[in-house]
Amino acid sequence: MEIYLPIAAMSVHWLVILLMGAAVGFLSGMFGVGGGFLLTPLLIFYGIPSEVAVATTASHITASSMSGAITQWRRRSVDMTMATVMLIGGVVGTGFGVWLFGLLRKAGQSEIVVAGGYVILLSTVGGLMLNESIRTLLAARSGQAAPVSRLQHHSWIHRLPFKMRFRQSRLYISVLPPLLLGAFVGMLSAILGVGGGFVIVPAMIYLLRVPTNIVMGTSLVQILCVTAVTTVLQAATNNNVDILLAALLISGGVIGAQFGVRMAARLRGEQLRFLLAVLVLAVGARLLYGLVATPIDLYSVTVLGAGQ
Amino acid sequence: MNRLLLTILLAVLPLSVQAQGLVAGISQDQIQITSNYAGSDVVVFGDVQQQTDNSENAPVGKPDVVVVVRGQAADMAVRRKAHVAGVWVNSTKITLNDIPAYYFAASTRPLSQIASVQTLKLYQIGAANVQPQGTSTTNSVKAEPFRRALIAERKRDRLYLEAPHGVEFLGTTLFRAHVPIPAGAPTGQYTVEVYVIRDGQVLDVQSTPFFVDQIGLERDLHHFAFHWPLTYGLVTMLMALLFGWLSSAIFRQT
Repeated sequence: MEIYLPIAAMSVHWLVILLMGAAVGFLSGMFGVGGGFLLTPLLIFYGIPSEVAVATTASHITASSMSGAITQWRRRSVDMTMATVMLIGGVVGTGFGVWLFGLLRKAGQSEIVVAGGYVILLSTVGGLMLNESIRTLLAARSGQAAPVSRLQHHSWIHRLPFKMRFRQSRLYISVLPPLLLGAFVGMLSAILGVGGGFVIVPAMIYLLRVPTNIVMGTSLVQILCVTAVTTVLQAATNNNVDILLAALLISGGVIGAQFGVRMAARLRGEQLRFLLAVLVLAVGARLLYGLVATPIDLYSVTVLGAGQ
Repeated sequence: MNRLLLTILLAVLPLSVQAQGLVAGISQDQIQITSNYAGSDVVVFGDVQQQTDNSENAPVGKPDVVVVVRGQAADMAVRRKAHVAGVWVNSTKITLNDIPAYYFAASTRPLSQIASVQTLKLYQIGAANVQPQGTSTTNSVKAEPFRRALIAERKRDRLYLEAPHGVEFLGTTLFRAHVPIPAGAPTGQYTVEVYVIRDGQVLDVQSTPFFVDQIGLERDLHHFAFHWPLTYGLVTMLMALLFGWLSSAIFRQT
């Protein structure tokens, strides 16, 4: 049955959207990522206007990170002080991002910024992940232990002012890095519709040196709050959140995630990361092709509203 | 400007030429688009009385009937992509004001056989002859490719349609045409114009409006999203949180 989406202003088959949500939910459950970076491009390929895809994906990530955050909260692996600091930055970043997105939309450039941003994001993350997983796979084959890349001690972070104690993470560092990290991820969420887990997690581990068990829970709380704020701000400022689309995606997503988590238990970590890297690079390549290839139609039409 | 001229022409026309005794009607004056609306037809029907003219130059054969349906006029922005640093980006933008969001032309024969290009242009008969009331540029040469692109795009989306044999005569004077209103049809006021043309001359015209409205959940949601955007955003957020909490609660049980 076709369903008419009130904000996207198009008819979609409900099963297609449900399955799309389920597929992304499956992957996010399997790889432990939010899946926004896959869902937004998928929706755009399906024909959903890119601004609606970006804004609605934020609500999808809100749901999936809510589910994860509750589990982590029960395990007491959330540093609320750290999460609050990142959140303050996050709200500012999101507000700025939503405002910037509105400007880009008015200038008719939101599509190119979304697509271009994704190409950069996906090729960087995919490339890094592919590199790492291949090294690990090769090392495992030759019978050696994988070389653990030890990052230098980032002493410059310790020299920054406004130090603060993060009890749960057992850290005494400046509030500036988590604040800026939060702001950057908030902006990504508004402009690209991603939760930003793949930016927050490595940054917390390697830059802030937060204990790994605290990283997952804290980043999930941060992502949850930022995407929730993004959803509200996008709806309030740019009117581009489609509640029916969100409901379908979320329903599929939460079911898919359960299967994904189970599948993940059967595969090895580096194999999973290799698969994810290939997938990420493929999506990036497809988006890049769309930007570079000569369009079939040079013109695009936007209905501005009833005349007279 | 064009539209104004057209209106004036339509107003004075039946007086200046011999009336053909055209009577036309439509099957419904309201179409309601619901969530499972898969498209429907409005039937335009009518009767063209042959005039009783016994003089030597009395025309022979049946006149042609053209049914033109225009949707609510809308302002549309058309953007052209340009190749900048290896990437295609939107560059030139021209706004076409008050151009119908939907257009349909049905006729008894292909339009080119019915009237001259000038006549068709004048009355904006045929999708290619649809004109905006104004453009954001005063340079009409510059705006022309944008107008053509808009028409091509609307045709692709099946919102500008033509049916060269869409008007069928049932007997000698009765005619009928089906006007398709697809699922994606824009809402608003539609105008049906029935033209009677003989020997390339417009003899009579009649205009009737009908309305396409969206009803049901989608309309309410759209209204909600645009009139109470903040509340709408909060509701969407709460829905997402609830779904997430539910899934974790169910997951914990299994």
